[in-house]
Amino acid sequence: MTAAGEIDLIGSRIQAEVERAIQRNIKGLEYFSSPAPVPGATPKDLLHTRGTLNLYHYRPLAAELYRVPLLLVMATTNRGYIFDLAPGQSLVEFLLEQGYDVYLIDWSPPRPDEKRLRLEDYTLEFIPDCVRRVAKHCGEDEVTILGYCMGGVLSVIYAALHPEGPLKNLVCFTTPIDWTRMGLFTKWAHRDFFDVDKLVDALGNVPSEFIFTSFEMLRPATRSAGQIRLWENLWNDEFVKSHRMFERWSTDTLPLAGEYFRQTIKELMWRNGLFENALTLGGRRADLGNIRAPVLHVVAEHDHIVPYEAARPLIERVGSADKQELVLKGGHVSVVAGRNAVQRLWPKLDAWLGERSI
Amino acid sequence: MAESPSKDPAAAWRDLVTQWEKNLNELANRTMGSDEFAKSVNQAVGLSAGMQSSLSEAMGRYLASLNLPSRTEMAAIGERLHAIEQRLDRVLELLQASAGAAEAEGAVAGAKPPPRTKRPRDRGEKP
Repeated sequence: MTAAGEIDLIGSRIQAEVERAIQRNIKGLEYFSSPAPVPGATPKDLLHTRGTLNLYHYRPLAAELYRVPLLLVMATTNRGYIFDLAPGQSLVEFLLEQGYDVYLIDWSPPRPDEKRLRLEDYTLEFIPDCVRRVAKHCGEDEVTILGYCMGGVLSVIYAALHPEGPLKNLVCFTTPIDWTRMGLFTKWAHRDFFDVDKLVDALGNVPSEFIFTSFEMLRPATRSAGQIRLWENLWNDEFVKSHRMFERWSTDTLPLAGEYFRQTIKELMWRNGLFENALTLGGRRADLGNIRAPVLHVVAEHDHIVPYEAARPLIERVGSADKQELVLKGGHVSVVAGRNAVQRLWPKLDAWLGERSI
Repeated sequence: MAESPSKDPAAAWRDLVTQWEKNLNELANRTMGSDEFAKSVNQAVGLSAGMQSSLSEAMGRYLASLNLPSRTEMAAIGERLHAIEQRLDRVLELLQASAGAAEAEGAVAGAKPPPRTKRPRDRGEKP
């Protein structure tokens, strides 16, 4: 390049940066003065509520539906609107447009009197009850379940405890099985250091701040870096909108029922019950080999919450003949929402589910 | 024309932020992965939970002296209300079943539901 060309390039670069700086100032004011975008706006009806449990049905958007309904099971730590962030960034909207009949189990903060809820309540009572309600509501006798993170764990346990069905397919997103491979969580919650009884006995339900801080401590610099990136991209409306939605969701953690948390630490983390085939609930063993329905496990290559090593054993252990693991680039949340999910996961999920939902 | 990254100050800044984030996270993870950290953070959590519990007990005694209900007592009332809600739910279900409410529910959701006859497009190989 000639010297004059380089000067032109630097000139145009400076001009662009000045324009962006002006836009940052204008839009920075808008950012602080405007309300956050509203997630979870796809029309839905509340079918059933029971304390911490909410069962929703999304209104179909397609003229023709697949026969088998799809029940999403959200993680107990976070809100379900990660499945339905915004038009164009909503997994729910995408699934509805492809012709799926979509239901959602979403969780409210457990009430003080729900501190006694146990894994048995979630896997032998809540999910089976919702499956029955979904089947009755749509008039089908089979249901596909899709669980995210801890919602995946509950779905896997449910599937292992109910080999007789009516589960048609099981889809799990970033679901931990080998809890000795959960990185810093394994270290922090080690029985030599962590007195879970003291915590639960003192507090009843485990506060959302505790859950939020645990997640934040895994990547302590990421929130600050995110703020810097937000400032840099304030001129970009799409970036700002997306940032605000993810920011809101990631800080919107839920408290956990005390006994459920105690059991999760002792049975899943300390005894590694799912991996060691040692988890018994309601007198039944949650043996992953009992699962015979087709299984798809979507895992993230750079997942800092559920590392790949923790999630990997699911496909090895399930008894299904039809099973598949899908490893995607990205992290724990980007498999569900964001550009990565829209471009990489959703079409593959649709292709897998479609031929198994007829 | 593609711009050389070395001449793009914004790109250099972005790289710097990314590198800073990566390095700090790695450093913090190494520190937080030690036994000492796990021990001290759990001591802090235990202490905080203990203090919260003691505070709650003291507050309970204070509220009782003012003839006001404590959080625990309110929670107990909540529990009883929850039980009543559950009973009401069951009564409602029985009423819906007897009145053929299932059909009405479909009508509320919007006329006739779409047929469940969809088949996937031919996509070639499985993903």
